Amino acid sequence: MAASSRQRLDDPRWYERAVFYELLPRGFYDSNADGIGDFEGLREKLEYLEWLGVDCLWLLPFYPSPLRDGGYDISDFLTVAPELGSTDDLAAVIEDAHRRGIRIISDLVMNHTSDQHPWFVESRSSRDNPRADWYMWADDDHGFADVRVIFLDVEPSNWTFDQRRQQFFWHRFFHHQPDLNYDNPDVVDAMLGVVRFWLDLGIDGFRLDAVPYLYKAEGTACENLPGTHQLLRRIRAEIDASYPGRIMLAEVNQWPDAVVEYFGDGDECHMCFNFPLMPRMFMAIRREQRFPITEILAQTPAIPDGCQWGIFLRNHDELTLEMVTDEERDYMYGEYARDPRMRKNLGIRRRLAPLVDNDRRVGELLHGLLLSLPGSPVLYYRDELLMGDNIYLGDRDGVRTPMQWTPDRNGGFSRADFAQLYLPPLMDPVHGFQAVNVEAERRDPSSFLHWLRRMLAVRHQYPQFATGTLEVLPADNPSVLAYVRRARDVLDGAGEPLASGPSASGLDGAGEPVPSAGAPAAVLCVSNLSRFAQPAELSLGRWEGCTPIELLGRVPFPRVTSAPYSVTLAPYGIYWLELVER
Amino acid sequence: MPPDPAALEGLVVPYLERQPWFLADMSRVDRSVRANARLADLEVLLHERPGLASVVVTVGGHSFHVLVGWREPALAPAILGSRQGAVLGICDDGSGEVLCYDAFADEELSAGLLAIASAGRESARRVRLVQSLVSHASLVYDERLFMKCYRVLEPAPRQEVELLLRLDEVGFKHLLGAVARWERAGWDLALVREYVAGAVEGRALALTSLRDLLGRAADEDRMQSEEVGAAGGDLGSEMRRLGEITGSLHLALAEAFGVRTLQAGDGSPRLAIRVHGDYHLRRVLRTDAGWIVAGFGDDPLIGRFGGGGERREPRFASPLEDLADLSYSLRQVAAEAVAVRPVATWAQARRLAESWERRNRDALISGYLGVEGIGTLMELDRPAAVSSLEALVAERAAG
Repeated sequence: MAASSRQRLDDPRWYERAVFYELLPRGFYDSNADGIGDFEGLREKLEYLEWLGVDCLWLLPFYPSPLRDGGYDISDFLTVAPELGSTDDLAAVIEDAHRRGIRIISDLVMNHTSDQHPWFVESRSSRDNPRADWYMWADDDHGFADVRVIFLDVEPSNWTFDQRRQQFFWHRFFHHQPDLNYDNPDVVDAMLGVVRFWLDLGIDGFRLDAVPYLYKAEGTACENLPGTHQLLRRIRAEIDASYPGRIMLAEVNQWPDAVVEYFGDGDECHMCFNFPLMPRMFMAIRREQRFPITEILAQTPAIPDGCQWGIFLRNHDELTLEMVTDEERDYMYGEYARDPRMRKNLGIRRRLAPLVDNDRRVGELLHGLLLSLPGSPVLYYRDELLMGDNIYLGDRDGVRTPMQWTPDRNGGFSRADFAQLYLPPLMDPVHGFQAVNVEAERRDPSSFLHWLRRMLAVRHQYPQFATGTLEVLPADNPSVLAYVRRARDVLDGAGEPLASGPSASGLDGAGEPVPSAGAPAAVLCVSNLSRFAQPAELSLGRWEGCTPIELLGRVPFPRVTSAPYSVTLAPYGIYWLELVER
Repeated sequence: MPPDPAALEGLVVPYLERQPWFLADMSRVDRSVRANARLADLEVLLHERPGLASVVVTVGGHSFHVLVGWREPALAPAILGSRQGAVLGICDDGSGEVLCYDAFADEELSAGLLAIASAGRESARRVRLVQSLVSHASLVYDERLFMKCYRVLEPAPRQEVELLLRLDEVGFKHLLGAVARWERAGWDLALVREYVAGAVEGRALALTSLRDLLGRAADEDRMQSEEVGAAGGDLGSEMRRLGEITGSLHLALAEAFGVRTLQAGDGSPRLAIRVHGDYHLRRVLRTDAGWIVAGFGDDPLIGRFGGGGERREPRFASPLEDLADLSYSLRQVAAEAVAVRPVATWAQARRLAESWERRNRDALISGYLGVEGIGTLMELDRPAAVSSLEALVAERAAG
């Protein structure tokens, strides 16, 4: 069964080696022809996800919501949105996924609720109701004056006046998303109840939204405060005690040295996203030089044992530019978003393919980096097809259009009338469903989808990619990025050393990678960031006498000698080479 | 037993005469002077086999340093491989014939040099010879340290050594710090410094930027000069950062060596500092932690200092001189990038390259003038500084 070939469900450290797949349940597959994707539809498509080789699904918010912020405005934490199905339907998805060796984590927004949430409806009704202190109320809007406004395109202030209660309430994001007051122990208890509810249902963990802002204090930036860390440790302790193997993945859009605080001493979050790495991968390719990447790798501190970065190319939000300097931000805008509609807040709302001018070579290069740099890769649904976007849709909807399954009506996403769909599918001649869809790409062995599947299989065979050390190698050519991933002496959850060689492959057919036996080797990754062919000389002195073997075709390259090692790379070319002692 | 000094001298002098770096200078020296080459210093470093000696030969006012290794002749081919040019000849070490050769051709001896140069404080498992230039050879140890072995010697302290040590003292950290110094008989023989793996010469980054710009112009056929900053490989931000590093280098040089007042051409007094003196895109390295100043143009035989065995005087000048050197090297590298494009595109490429040069020079100046305290060295406001700089660059282009 597939589970044995990938992630063992009894491995509590599975997330260190997992490939994540972020998906929008309402955009994945519509089973009941109402124009909205649902859980039953997702369950039907699990076969595809298993075939692709992903290990964990991250479901974007599926809770009841007025949907004024893509579902991040939750109006009930303890059930699912009725248009997606029932809680039982979700439980069935979880059960089926687990049978296939796939885990599921869900988005959880702890910082705020929708203003439609009964908690807020009650809280705003008077100044003395039982939930009067569940949110942050004030008589004026002078408090926390130094705190930056995140959605500065649309929100003039973090305070909004409520007519009924005749007070201001605090919100770090939209004005319809009031922040919860975690100084109130009842709020903490309520949120712990939410956590337990979903874990009891079988959810494997949470992607925690907007974590840095949970606690507030006057005179601070209201970010990364001690109370927030304390709360995370409390949730973690609860998970470790009652739900081992479940994870917390934090969204902390800050510099790496601030983010590592959220790993605590290995007693806070299991995973955090590495935000600054992402825009720099794009920048490196645009500048055709490696320094944007190597610089951020050099600044990324070590993380505690048992912790892992989550890395990604694109997600449901804009391409975040908060973590680049102003100068670099101007540069990214200029490069990737010439059309002002593509700009949003401090980011760019584009999908991967149009962001790279639909160049498959760049798509492969970026995914090659994603799958080989330190961290667990998080794919965004449909990027495996190099699907496009629709910048004419409002807010961030442009990157949330339906999955394209077939060239049929509505891209095979739904049998509903076109006008009924939650968002129109892409229909342009380049990225539209008639040109880009799962069915066509599965039939075509040379498609990007097949290429990515092969790369995922190779990645699973080499634990170095997941938990190995990274060493950037000197290369004389600045357009070439070379690094070596080497296995550490990792023990798995049961205290056994990990298999030294690659494990069995999920691939079949001819030309598949053949695992080599013996001690875990180093894997050399070489990438050409330029659109022109490039030569490079690498310093491989330490591996003198080794034979580099290309991982996809098992082709031996010339043996490493004491002289600089010469490689030539095609435009945007990548090599993954195992350094085998012979 | 090491070979006898006279025998070594007899091998080293003809070997020197075969070296292009020796002749480069010696061509100016009379043949009769050449005949006066003599052994000035000999230190045997390893007495057994393989053996090693440091040999200094003086001729025509210059001193040359050769590291000589020796082994049994039967073993030598396996060690030297194809590096036959390194062979000096056969002599006797008391217990039989040995083959003598330039020690850089022998990895075992080259690796051992690190411990010798650092008086035993450093050692390495791997070594590679990266450069063999007119004035020195560079060896990299374990991708961690590199050693510059000087071939053409100068009386200690050699300017480069002095500059590195003083800049380090005043806290300028954007350089490859000195780790050990090998000094003997009044000469600096070698300097061991930190090595930054993965660093790239400024010139390579500039060429990458130009390749992108000129390549895109060829693809799109409509690139306008004003779009230069929007090209993917824009170097502007890097040049601004390099300007900042240059400003802090000048402040450190002023602190270490003082500020003088010199008379300008029109008789007016001008502030002068000890300048780098040979500041161009090969002298700076981009590392993962930003720019560093890699070297100081340490070459007694070439460059603006001219030849001659006498000790070179440190150069005090306007800090604009260094900026002009760097700006001029932007122009040179731009010309280099244009030259490899198809001839039919040269007119367009030149236009773009000029815009590129202007943009990056402006960024360099902006970074430089933005350094806190730089006003103490630079009396000119920005427009005046730019026009002085342009004049200095034009001077270099003309001369």
